Amino acid sequence: MEQQKTEKKRSRSRKGYVKYFRKKLIWFVLTLIIAVALNFILPRLMPGDPVQAMTGKLVAGTTSNTIAKEMYERYAEEFGTNKPLFQQFFIYVGNVMKGNFGLSFSEYPRPVSDVVNSAVWWTVCLQIPAIIFSWIIGNLLGAVAAYRKKVWDKAVMPFTLFLSAIPAFAMAVILFVIFAVTLKWAPISGGYAYDMIPPAINSFGDFFAKFPQIMKLIGSVLEHYQLPFWSIVLISIGGQAVGMRSMSIYELNADYVKYSRFMGIKDRKIVRYVFRNAMLPQVTGLTMSIGTSVGGSLVAETIFSYPGLGSAMLKAVTSSDYPVISATTLIITIMVLICSLMLDVIYAVIDPRVKAAQFD
Amino acid sequence: MRHMIRNVFHSPKFVWGFGIFVFILIFCIVYPLFNPGNPLEMLQVGGFAAPGTYVNVYDTVAADINKEETLKIKFRLPGADEKRLESVLSADDRNTMLKFLAKVGVDTSEVDVEDLDQLLELWEKYFDPTSQPKGITRADWNKYKRINNAINRISSTDRRSVSEKDQDGQMAAVGDFSSIDYVSVDEVANHITLPLGTDNFGRDMLKELVSATLTSVEMGFIAGTVATIIGLLFGLLAGYVGGVLDDIITFITNLFTVIPGFVLLILISFSIGQEQRGVTTVALVIGLTGWTWTARSVRSQVISLRNRDHVNLSKLSGHSLFRIILSDILPYIMSYVVMAFILQVSSGILSEAQLSLLGLGPKSTETPTLGLMMNWSMLYKAHTSGYWWAYFPIILTIAGVSFSLNLMNTGLDQVFNPALRD
Amino acid sequence: MKKLVALLIALAMLLACVGALAETVTEIPRNETLYFAGQQWGTVASWNPIGVNQNNSMAIAGNEGGYRTLVWETLYMYNPLDGGLYPLLADGEYAWNEDMTELTVKIKEAAKWNDGTPVTADDVKATWDVGLYLGNSTGNGYKDFVAGIEVIDAKTLKIVSVKNAEGAPANPLKLLDFISGTPIVQGAWIESVKAAFGDDVAAIQTYTGMEDGAFVVPHSGPYTRYYDDDQKVILVRDDNYWGQDASMWGKLPVPKYIGHAMYADNPAGDAALKAGEVDVSQQFISNVQDLWLKDELPISTYYEEAPYGLCLTMPTGWYNLNLPVLQIPAVRKAIAIAVDYDAIIASAMTNQSPSFADVPRSLMNPTPGEQALYDHEAVKDLQWAGLDIEGAKAMLDEAGIVDADGDGWREYNGEKISLNAVCPQGWTDWEASMEIVAAAGEKIGIEITTLFPTADQYYTVFTSPVQTEYAIFMWSPAAASPSQPWGRVYGLMSSSFKGIENNWSGNFGQYENAEVDEILAKIPTMSDENEIKAAYTRLVEIYLTEVPSFSLMYRPSVFCTYNETVWTNFPSDDGRNIPPLDCTDGYGIAALYDLELVGE
Repeated sequence: MEQQKTEKKRSRSRKGYVKYFRKKLIWFVLTLIIAVALNFILPRLMPGDPVQAMTGKLVAGTTSNTIAKEMYERYAEEFGTNKPLFQQFFIYVGNVMKGNFGLSFSEYPRPVSDVVNSAVWWTVCLQIPAIIFSWIIGNLLGAVAAYRKKVWDKAVMPFTLFLSAIPAFAMAVILFVIFAVTLKWAPISGGYAYDMIPPAINSFGDFFAKFPQIMKLIGSVLEHYQLPFWSIVLISIGGQAVGMRSMSIYELNADYVKYSRFMGIKDRKIVRYVFRNAMLPQVTGLTMSIGTSVGGSLVAETIFSYPGLGSAMLKAVTSSDYPVISATTLIITIMVLICSLMLDVIYAVIDPRVKAAQFD
Repeated sequence: MRHMIRNVFHSPKFVWGFGIFVFILIFCIVYPLFNPGNPLEMLQVGGFAAPGTYVNVYDTVAADINKEETLKIKFRLPGADEKRLESVLSADDRNTMLKFLAKVGVDTSEVDVEDLDQLLELWEKYFDPTSQPKGITRADWNKYKRINNAINRISSTDRRSVSEKDQDGQMAAVGDFSSIDYVSVDEVANHITLPLGTDNFGRDMLKELVSATLTSVEMGFIAGTVATIIGLLFGLLAGYVGGVLDDIITFITNLFTVIPGFVLLILISFSIGQEQRGVTTVALVIGLTGWTWTARSVRSQVISLRNRDHVNLSKLSGHSLFRIILSDILPYIMSYVVMAFILQVSSGILSEAQLSLLGLGPKSTETPTLGLMMNWSMLYKAHTSGYWWAYFPIILTIAGVSFSLNLMNTGLDQVFNPALRD
Repeated sequence: MKKLVALLIALAMLLACVGALAETVTEIPRNETLYFAGQQWGTVASWNPIGVNQNNSMAIAGNEGGYRTLVWETLYMYNPLDGGLYPLLADGEYAWNEDMTELTVKIKEAAKWNDGTPVTADDVKATWDVGLYLGNSTGNGYKDFVAGIEVIDAKTLKIVSVKNAEGAPANPLKLLDFISGTPIVQGAWIESVKAAFGDDVAAIQTYTGMEDGAFVVPHSGPYTRYYDDDQKVILVRDDNYWGQDASMWGKLPVPKYIGHAMYADNPAGDAALKAGEVDVSQQFISNVQDLWLKDELPISTYYEEAPYGLCLTMPTGWYNLNLPVLQIPAVRKAIAIAVDYDAIIASAMTNQSPSFADVPRSLMNPTPGEQALYDHEAVKDLQWAGLDIEGAKAMLDEAGIVDADGDGWREYNGEKISLNAVCPQGWTDWEASMEIVAAAGEKIGIEITTLFPTADQYYTVFTSPVQTEYAIFMWSPAAASPSQPWGRVYGLMSSSFKGIENNWSGNFGQYENAEVDEILAKIPTMSDENEIKAAYTRLVEIYLTEVPSFSLMYRPSVFCTYNETVWTNFPSDDGRNIPPLDCTDGYGIAALYDLELVGE
């Protein structure tokens, strides 16, 4: 009897999971479709003709007066800008499915996928550790502030709050001026040292033979990593800490805590429960904030000439390279989408209440 | 209501935030009264004059030489001569001279940098501005030549005269002054004090900053209002009406939460095009992309209110939907709406700054905004050239405004949610 | 525990990042490398010299002032300092035939490709033929002027000019541009590419010149590709370079490597220059003198004093003559003489430009060679230095353009004159200039507002022959080349550009003057110096009277700032006659053979 019940419960819970994930997945796909459409249409509504700009660069300085027109027509044909917009859209979607984002306008004939591919890893490797790191530090700080109060609550918290009021690019500028320009502790630009080049490893043996050099490259990458990393971390700590502090105080004042105290349960044990409970909404908070924090950090990248998506996007915006704008914004959207999908999954696993919700 | 407001003003965080915000606003409103004029007027030919008081040289000389000798104000300040020498030939310069002497083979261990006469004597002996010795870079050589010119300018007399061309084209002395003559700044016809120097166009930074702050706050308010109204409307509809409408609105809300708002902002601003991007348009666009948070929290609040007794009572009494929302639901969620509004204003100001930095801000000529000022100073490399006054006050202002709003929000949070009180 | 997991994730991310590079590192010795900034923006697209849009400015770049001959070489090198053409692949002087329809060039015995085969006349012919076939910059740029190339023997060739109806050459000056601006590519390689791709023109155009990560295109220059990615491009010296023969340089260029890191923007490039990571910067640096006066850095420029660089071009404000009010010469001239050019030079150029008082305005850039081409005394009364508000007002009053309704603004045909001053957004020095032009309008009672559209939008409008959106807009005429100043004047005033769609080449304001066209047609074949001078003087006179456009400042076409932390003996105003063209362009490349390490 007892066993049957748990069996049933388990199968129901599994069903609940499946239902939950299916719902999430459908939603994911729908969002993706709309995102693709927005990414395609919006940049193309811009007045001005990038093909014109491209021809201009090529023919500038020639004294001949018919070449520009010929070139223009050729490129309009090649990029398909002479076709109606809806037709362009279907061609675009078809190509994107195949991972082909077309050719870049400003770096013609370089494929957009190449531009994005070389930039995306730098951004992913920068942003995800930075977001996770600042989430952890922020939550710790918030919890400590809620529990210990005193200096933490009166000085450290307001300070991080002040830091979080600084826009990401401004924090980047401040760190850049102090540590790179004035103190010269950090390198000025790029993803690794300007006088290093990484030639290809052709065999496994190469890897061992060149191990010291690999370590040197990693060292250089890490060195260039510091300023962009900290400029993201410093501004995101505050927001997380405030949320965590509120949740912790809320939980600390909850009836179960008072009851437990009354029962004489050890403080340490209570605190552990309190913070575990306070943590859960913070995971949702992370889902919500990931979108906003990414935007700011992208602008910060450009201050350090960090070779990520932010720099690629800025360059595309200034040169009206809309295939690249479409692709970069789409990639960012997809990354955020995947992150939030992953967080939803994690959340469902760690929070029993989500399971319960699926039974209704 | 009065009780609540009193409570709000008992929260130290709110009071601090409110105080900072009001101080910034009042300063921005009052300052132009004392320093009127167009904030975009280019005062300086060129740009990036450092903060300080600038005294007109022409007028200063005139103010002194026009005076009778007996009326002249004279001071003997301690260390005046040393300062004067330092301004022409600094200690660094003297060390550079030593470096040159060492390079051309002089034994410099015996030379004392403080002993100017000895140094000058050696310099005169070894330095020939017409022939560049081998092994000296051009940059160094230029530096030596500049020092040499400075040396030639060191004057041994303590009187200098001012000459002008007379009618025959001959130079004739019109007056003279000595090294101990002083003129009060008030006597000089033209002088200007620039507390924050000038920007790249030679505009008064402080005047521009003050005007930009007001515009940016205004943009924040427009964006915040738009976002709050949309969010409130959607939240109320979704939460109270429910059903299919709720599903649709929730879907849209989720969609806009996940597609990064900043990406949308970039795409929309880019597609509008530069000419259409006025201050109001950009603020509207920021508002249009930033309402999701409000909608979410309003919706969840309304759902929890929907089945309360007093709402049911209203329903049973046959009150209209409009009236129920207005009198039975809105008052209960007003505190959330106000808090959300404050956050929206703050994020609106930040968004404007970020957009402008990407070159997607309001079109640039008529009104300064904090983002545009920042953009110009970055384009003109203020940060790599050490013109701190051209970017740091802007960052500080943005951070100050946004910090004060966040503080207000946290303070309100504690007032409205007693459980959060310590 | 969670913390540990997160840290592990972070670490894994980093390793993945390095893994994504999947490569190891070699350091390039700093004291064997000459680093540049401000040339290469974004990843190199291709190493194919006959392709299009290579975005490879270290290897393939036709700059005003001279072609960059690090990898592929031209027949001659142009030197804007003296206007001379110095032989590179060519041997000795070129020779014209009687009526200037044929140009004979010999090729040096010693000139060789890096695969050891000699450079021949056939290679030049193949370069031209394939250019025409593909429509690349060589073909398109010269097809109106070069009819074909005749091979006389292995080392001698003849360039035949296109002739007009009367049998006169189309433009002999453009043939001189051709021999100094066309990189010569190996004929055998061109054949192999054509064989590989067949008739697919687009495939040849976008071919990258790389096979399995190796650079495969033969070249004759002293450097070859070493490495490139999204952050840098490195060239390495070819120690078998033919130019070490006594008939050319007699030695190898000094730096073993040429490097260029990609910076996100100008501030980043400047920061690198200051940090000594860059030796030669091609970026405009405002207040460049602060680098040595205030920051005490070992940085220098070509000239010790302002304007610091060699000004070869004149960014110009063009009047749109499609607008009726701007068809009145008095309005055009009044606005032009009211502008505060000193403010433009101070603000946009931070005084790195001679003022119009120092070098009075004409059609010439401030080099001595061009300045000598017109009679200064004859046009003295027409030249203006600006800020002549009263004169402008009087001129407008006289033309009947007055403020009749007393609102402070002048009217034309009963309507308030309202113009705009336009340039692309983000071109900061231009934006500053347009602001100052607008300010001049206010002082003389003509409303001028500024408008800064995005570059694309700007391009679309200003190249249209019928546009009425932009009243005063900015563009630069041609800078320096063997065909200047003729080409510049042609671009400023020739009516042949009138009504042309997508016109990128000149006369954007639709000006027309039959006398100008007539003189312009004659100049290329003139040989008598006095005749040329008289012709140019007349053109300057017309230009300054009719004011179809007006120069706003003088400006270098390439900027050139050196950091002497590692290298020294860069070109300067020291009598060596090496132009400040970044040690790479035209005759500027001679600088590479003279560089020295600091402290040696």
